[in-house]
Amino acid sequence: MSLIQIKGLKKNFQGNEVIKGLDFKLEKGKCIALLGPNGAGKTTTLRMLSGLMKPTAGIISFSGAKKDGDIRHLIGYLPQFPVFYDWMSGFEFLQYVGKLGGLTGKEAKERSLELLELVGISDAKNRRVGKYSGGMKQRLGIAQAIIHRPQLVMLDEPVSALDPFGRREVLELLEGLKKETTILFSTHILNDAEEVCDEILFLHNGEIVESGTMEDLRERHQQAKIDLIFRKKTVEMGNTLKNHALTKSILIEGNRISVFVTNIELARKEFLKLISEKDWQLDKFEMSSMTLEDVFMKVVGK
Amino acid sequence: MSQWMTLFQKEILEMWRNFKWIWVPITFILLGVSEPLTSYYLPQIIKSFGGLPEGSIIDIPPPTAGAVLASGLSQYSTLGVLIIVLGTMGVIAGERKSGVAAMILVKPVSYLSYISSKWAGSLLLVWFSLFIGYLSTWYYTGQLFDWIPIGEFFQSFVLFGLWLTVVLTVTIFFSAALLTPGMAGFISLAIALVLSIISGALSHLLEWSPSQLAGYASALLTVGELPDDTLPASLVAILLIVILLWLSVFLFKKKELAS
Repeated sequence: MSLIQIKGLKKNFQGNEVIKGLDFKLEKGKCIALLGPNGAGKTTTLRMLSGLMKPTAGIISFSGAKKDGDIRHLIGYLPQFPVFYDWMSGFEFLQYVGKLGGLTGKEAKERSLELLELVGISDAKNRRVGKYSGGMKQRLGIAQAIIHRPQLVMLDEPVSALDPFGRREVLELLEGLKKETTILFSTHILNDAEEVCDEILFLHNGEIVESGTMEDLRERHQQAKIDLIFRKKTVEMGNTLKNHALTKSILIEGNRISVFVTNIELARKEFLKLISEKDWQLDKFEMSSMTLEDVFMKVVGK
Repeated sequence: MSQWMTLFQKEILEMWRNFKWIWVPITFILLGVSEPLTSYYLPQIIKSFGGLPEGSIIDIPPPTAGAVLASGLSQYSTLGVLIIVLGTMGVIAGERKSGVAAMILVKPVSYLSYISSKWAGSLLLVWFSLFIGYLSTWYYTGQLFDWIPIGEFFQSFVLFGLWLTVVLTVTIFFSAALLTPGMAGFISLAIALVLSIISGALSHLLEWSPSQLAGYASALLTVGELPDDTLPASLVAILLIVILLWLSVFLFKKKELAS
């Protein structure tokens, strides 16, 4: 069941078309990464989805929106640079937004304590937010986005500002959050997307240039390539493989030989046979699976 | 309603944490009380500064208690207005500029509650400060001159408070309609000033103008009775407050929170 449907979403800034017509759906319970280089339009897209910005054209339809189109009870949003009331403590801020999100005083208190624990800042709960570090603010930001248990949580670059440890922890947090709610988060870091997300939307210059599940993407961009690593490489190996009927081209780097082939399944059988016949000392045999980075470079480059 | 209370309590708490509950009332006390004190001690003050030239006989008649209290009010309509505008101009524009407004309003918060809670918080501060300050002025005037009847004190307090409420609402309106606190403050001050000047100059044409309320409150103290136009001016003031608040919500809602 799809939670949001977006059709022909556009945004102009002073005549500049920043978002050039997006069409996509978000399924309930999925974790979707909005991936793209800086300036691709990720933040603008999230702002339009959260209602902070009005689209120039297009339709955003949420299932469960109120009659006047208000969707704010359904969503939680973390901006790229979250801002709080510096004079409040983290605990106070969470209770405040919890109550604004419709929790009772008691619920807000319990939920705040639970979330402070979850995001790992309960030691600092009574400290003024003004004294928080960047990483702590980011964590508090995630907590405030999910406090009212929204159906869709939108996070704008939740891990970009964090150090490697913080990044690790927040990604694990997202992993856990996936079980409860739908997550849409933007990032320009491929590994993050690859790690936690089921689906990916590639945004480039205001357009979706590629989308799908990780498997889909891999399959679509799979190249018929076999990587071979030998303990000791000889010239014979190179020449034999180079002149093999299935080989299109070959790349030799040290002990590694990458062979681009015409038919990967056939090549697997043939090569393995060849290797055992010749008794070459093989260390590693790998059918290429393209990394997200390769896909990224490929779609962005075109 | 509970959401409105949450927002309202936050405003009260914020003003507590940034000490507005302390310094605004104190300023109002100082501004007001300085009037009866300087009027009473003026002869001594002149003497201690070297006095008047030998032989000059200048008789300074002691002012009436009503005039002293009225001049206390006139302090509030200049410096008091300045404090209110400077203290309120950022309540909405400032939150939007910092980005915290977007954090709050992306939650299911009604725009009307958001703005009206801020208005109500500032309103409470203004009326509280005015009451404390004006009451002290009344007390000192009573001690040093004559006692003004408590009924007149309250009537003039309410009338004057209504004028300050108009000023406050204008400031809130520009704070919601404009992006920068400074601009909101500047325009609000300019409007309060222009309104006072125009209605002072054309007082026979603009009897119903809310800015006359300050003058009517003083008139009550000096003359002893309220001018006939007090009621229409009060009604116009209330109407203006309601319209401005409604417009604030309307304009604020139309704006994008992120840009």
